[in-house]
Amino acid sequence: MTKAIWIRLVSICVLILSLAAICIVEDKLVDTALARVENMCVEIELAVEKNEGIVNGEVASLVDNLEYFWNKQESVMCFVVNHKTIEQLGVEIVRLKTYIDEEEQIEFYVSLEIIKHYIETFQHVMGANLHNVF
Amino acid sequence: MFTIVSRAVIIYLLVLFLYRLMGKRQLGQMQPFELVLTLIIADLATIPMAEVTVPVLHGVIPLLTLTILHFFISLFCKISNKFSAFVSGKPVIVINPKGIDYRALKNLSLSVDDVFEAIRGCGYFSIEQIQYAIMETNGKMSVLPKSDFAPVTVQDLNLNVEKSVIPLNIINEGKIVKENIKLAQVDQLQIKELLKQANIKRVKDCLVLTIDKNGGVFIQGYGSHYQTLQTKPLGQVNE
Repeated sequence: MTKAIWIRLVSICVLILSLAAICIVEDKLVDTALARVENMCVEIELAVEKNEGIVNGEVASLVDNLEYFWNKQESVMCFVVNHKTIEQLGVEIVRLKTYIDEEEQIEFYVSLEIIKHYIETFQHVMGANLHNVF
Repeated sequence: MFTIVSRAVIIYLLVLFLYRLMGKRQLGQMQPFELVLTLIIADLATIPMAEVTVPVLHGVIPLLTLTILHFFISLFCKISNKFSAFVSGKPVIVINPKGIDYRALKNLSLSVDDVFEAIRGCGYFSIEQIQYAIMETNGKMSVLPKSDFAPVTVQDLNLNVEKSVIPLNIINEGKIVKENIKLAQVDQLQIKELLKQANIKRVKDCLVLTIDKNGGVFIQGYGSHYQTLQTKPLGQVNE
């Protein structure tokens, strides 16, 4: 085999490995981040139930944590996910903070549910399944 | 704007690399599957370039996937003739000694006008001049003329001519081509002598200088007419 054929073969092997690596990293990254956000939402819900309201330090702290975590994850996820697709999640998290300030518990719950709904949708869209292929 | 510029550079370099990886065939003689690939690549490459919210990876991943797919299709085409025929089709004879094969034309969805256009492109203006015309898988027509209309060759005339050789480009736009100096087995002194004969002072004033195996020299300076000179026939010229 000539040098050119060797280079081509090696390049194709590198491409295949890169492709596989990118797919695995993307899947792990998105899955982990979304699962963590979902857990944080559940923690917030439990904290609201425990404290019988949204205006308390524990809930505010959990929402801050959620916002901080999401901001960190969002910048990493932008490498693999369309920015427009995930920006709505950030908007809903910011709304949570506003609802605490305004003491609007129902809207707070609605936002939490919307966040969970987005997560489920993303997990479905990003996951490897036949529905997404066809 | 910086993002768009950066993305354009990344995508351009990537597509350039992928085309080089696919081989030169891609540029001149495209088979159907290669044409499809070219069209898709052109479209895919522009999406992340123009849309900032789309990650570059969304353009890169399909490009890589298509390149790998293309590699394997090309590989299988080389291994299996049947697969090659399935993917690229087979060459089809559209003109035979009896005339135009209308059934073949219908199978290829070609009209008689298309055939005329293709044979004119090959330098023939009448079907009478053609023994066989073959529609190749890359869409080009190959023509075998009847003996009466075939161009005369040296062999037909029984002439003794010297073997054609490709002249070696010794100076190209004011720069010496070192690899060709080795091939032509000439030295700097000989080059200077040739430049002197052509009234060119320095190497960088020479637009082009070529030498063929028989010692024929073509030399032209910037802003001057070309000259042909004769030097010693070269030694063993490795083409």
